[in-house]
Amino acid sequence: MSLSTKEITIFFLSISAMLLFARGFGELLRKFKQPLVIGEIIAGIILGPTVLGSLFPNLFTSLFQSFPNISIALQGITVLAVTMLMLVSGLEVDLTLAIRQGKAASLISLMGIIFPFVVGFFAAYLFPETFGITNSKMRLVFSLFVGTALSITALPVVARTLMDLNIFKTEIGLLIIASAMFNDLIGWIIFSVILATIGSRAGDFDFGTPTGGLVLSLGIFVVLTLFIGRKIINYILPILERKITYPGGVLNFVLILGFLGAALTEHLGIHAIFGAFIVGITIGDSVHLKEEAREILQQFVTNIFAPLFFVSIGLRVNFIQNFDLQIVLIFLVLAFVGKVIGCGIGAYWGGMNKEDSLAIGFGMNSRGAMEIVLGILAFQSGLIQEKVFVAIVIMALVTSISSAPMMSFFLKRSKKKLTFIELLKPENIFLAKSNSKEEVIKELCEHLALKIKMNPQKIFSEVWKREQQISTGLANHLAIPHARMNIQHPAVAVAIHRIGIDFDSLDGLPAKIIVLLITQVNEPELQLKILADISKKFGSLEWVKKMLEAKDGEELISKLKQLS
Amino acid sequence: MVFKKMALAVTFSPNVRALLSEVKRLQKIFNSELVLIHAGEQTIETEKELDELIETTGLNRAKCKTVWQKGDAAKVILSVCAQENVDLLVAGAMARESFLKYYIGSVARTIMRESKCSVLLLPNPTTESKAHKKFCVSIDFSSLSEIAAKKAYEFAKLENADEMIFIREFQLPALAITIYDSGSTEEAGKKRLNWYKEEEEKMELFIREMNFAGINLKKVCLYGKQGWETGNYIRENHGDIFVTSSPVKKLKFFNRIFQHDLEFVFRELPCQLLIIKSEEEKS
Repeated sequence: MSLSTKEITIFFLSISAMLLFARGFGELLRKFKQPLVIGEIIAGIILGPTVLGSLFPNLFTSLFQSFPNISIALQGITVLAVTMLMLVSGLEVDLTLAIRQGKAASLISLMGIIFPFVVGFFAAYLFPETFGITNSKMRLVFSLFVGTALSITALPVVARTLMDLNIFKTEIGLLIIASAMFNDLIGWIIFSVILATIGSRAGDFDFGTPTGGLVLSLGIFVVLTLFIGRKIINYILPILERKITYPGGVLNFVLILGFLGAALTEHLGIHAIFGAFIVGITIGDSVHLKEEAREILQQFVTNIFAPLFFVSIGLRVNFIQNFDLQIVLIFLVLAFVGKVIGCGIGAYWGGMNKEDSLAIGFGMNSRGAMEIVLGILAFQSGLIQEKVFVAIVIMALVTSISSAPMMSFFLKRSKKKLTFIELLKPENIFLAKSNSKEEVIKELCEHLALKIKMNPQKIFSEVWKREQQISTGLANHLAIPHARMNIQHPAVAVAIHRIGIDFDSLDGLPAKIIVLLITQVNEPELQLKILADISKKFGSLEWVKKMLEAKDGEELISKLKQLS
Repeated sequence: MVFKKMALAVTFSPNVRALLSEVKRLQKIFNSELVLIHAGEQTIETEKELDELIETTGLNRAKCKTVWQKGDAAKVILSVCAQENVDLLVAGAMARESFLKYYIGSVARTIMRESKCSVLLLPNPTTESKAHKKFCVSIDFSSLSEIAAKKAYEFAKLENADEMIFIREFQLPALAITIYDSGSTEEAGKKRLNWYKEEEEKMELFIREMNFAGINLKKVCLYGKQGWETGNYIRENHGDIFVTSSPVKKLKFFNRIFQHDLEFVFRELPCQLLIIKSEEEKS
């Protein structure tokens, strides 16, 4: 059996339409700083029965439903796409990061799984009718599924959000990434167990019987791949890089292993994507997989295959007909309550303050692509019906969209001020009266001591001790006398000197902007970060001149903000 | 004084003379006391053998003490170090352990992971012990790495070293995954470049804060898996000694399975390795 010319023509037309709409809506959503995946889902809803199917049913049918062969071909492509998507997601999971991040990351990921799981499980188990479950046989598995669906976090969306908020390389950013990685792994293992408990994927349910054997196979597969497979891959990769063409050969090797893993888990009765995901983690962990190879794989999969998969979601279901406000609201409430509270508590127990804990909770709340993959698998296996599937997709979209603004809201309220601008208050900026280095530092110490309720002499003695080691006079009329002391939060004060004071600066210019910085004794990196931030802010003579024109502290801060 | 009291784990292996020569030189430059620890039975023969070794190496007997204790080698060495209040333990080590030994843990690797005092591991000791000319120091901007940098500087000054290379390693996991949303590698590349600059700037300030003078200083920022990249850099640049602070958390078997940071260096020593412990840790 082969495809006719007409079928091939329509097949390519439908794929082109999917890619065109996916890119168009994806780009549009990116303009609003939203994840690309949301645009791709919307593209699917527009191309699918919801919009195109209602407005132009003939066009919709001829593009996507006129030939059974095309449907099978598209199904094959989406299976391939989701498998590759999970493979590249796995590549980025760095298990050692969770180990390195320690207690806080473990608590956040564990609480981020346990709490939403318990909330979801009991909500579904106690009130199955609310979710449209009437078959009592389905009650347990469905409840397990709801628990898992709520405990998933989407690493790609999380990473993107952190990048957009410019907190990727911060303590909170790394904590969220580490927790999301660990969360992903555990979430998918639980979901695979649930899928394994469903005897047949065709809707003919046979609960429980194969579970023991399948869970054992799953366990053996995970342990063998993650522990022994990693070592073998780590040994083979450098040999491959030397012996075969790079990067082509290495990329092929990654895909071949990913597909073999997928075939193996599918054969075992666990879904194919799980095998690809675990193989992805195994390969991604190797020190020999170069960043360049990772990026090419990401490009290849996420610009061709991922859009096809996410658009195909909207093609399957009519989102308006299957929209059930009650189920949607229940899923939304459970999702927010479960994740934000669960991860928030984890972070709080891990030593974060209230605001940062909530920011982490909202950061971990984005479900994005991973939730949709999970939803479609459950839908295909007959575990959930259209209405629940639609609710899950909407929940994934809303949690992803709300993540960045909510995180930003709580981070702004966080007591942990980490940048010069965040630390600077108008009342701590004043015109210096003194005319010598020692006197102006004393003046700054007295001013700051009053604000942070400390002994000025104590501050001065530390700052002066540091000043005598090597001058803190930098270039462009800037000097940053500083010290590390036993304080709770970093603090700064700025003295402006119109004429300038000799500070033995690097460029020989007198210091006109003198910034006193006090940071915690046990946080040397924070001190360096703020020092680098200050010297960057006054990085050019032209800027410094503009700053010196400011009438008061508020104007100076607003000028500094314009620079960032 | 960089180190007041040194200890050497002595076995009657072929490289014992080389180890004693290295220690003799270090004892001289640190002007420190020395404890020779042998985890084994004290017999007339072994005592005589060690005595001859001390004699032929020319160790200063007045500042040298010998402790014999039977038992598990690593445990004996570590407990004697604690009793004697040693602040630098020197031991010979294979540059690369066999697969099995790495996981089970050889004496040298156990010492590296569990010692409460600073440890110097010598993978290729020689009887014509030479001064270290190229010091490589790992920096992570923590208080511990400040201590390690200071110790390394004092050591390098005593050795009259040619160069001190400060290495900062960093990596942002899951960065490649953000490419999905931008659709191009350009943004991730740009961010990485900015982070490089940020790290270089912090390194510049860090070195300035340390106020190291009289030695050629170099700073290097590496992007990649922590521990792994540093090891490769040192090997490629022929570093003589790698100085690093001890990990904050104790390294356990699990860390050997999912290797990270120092475990990469432990797996294959790039050169001599000096692990600095803080005084608080020791106590």
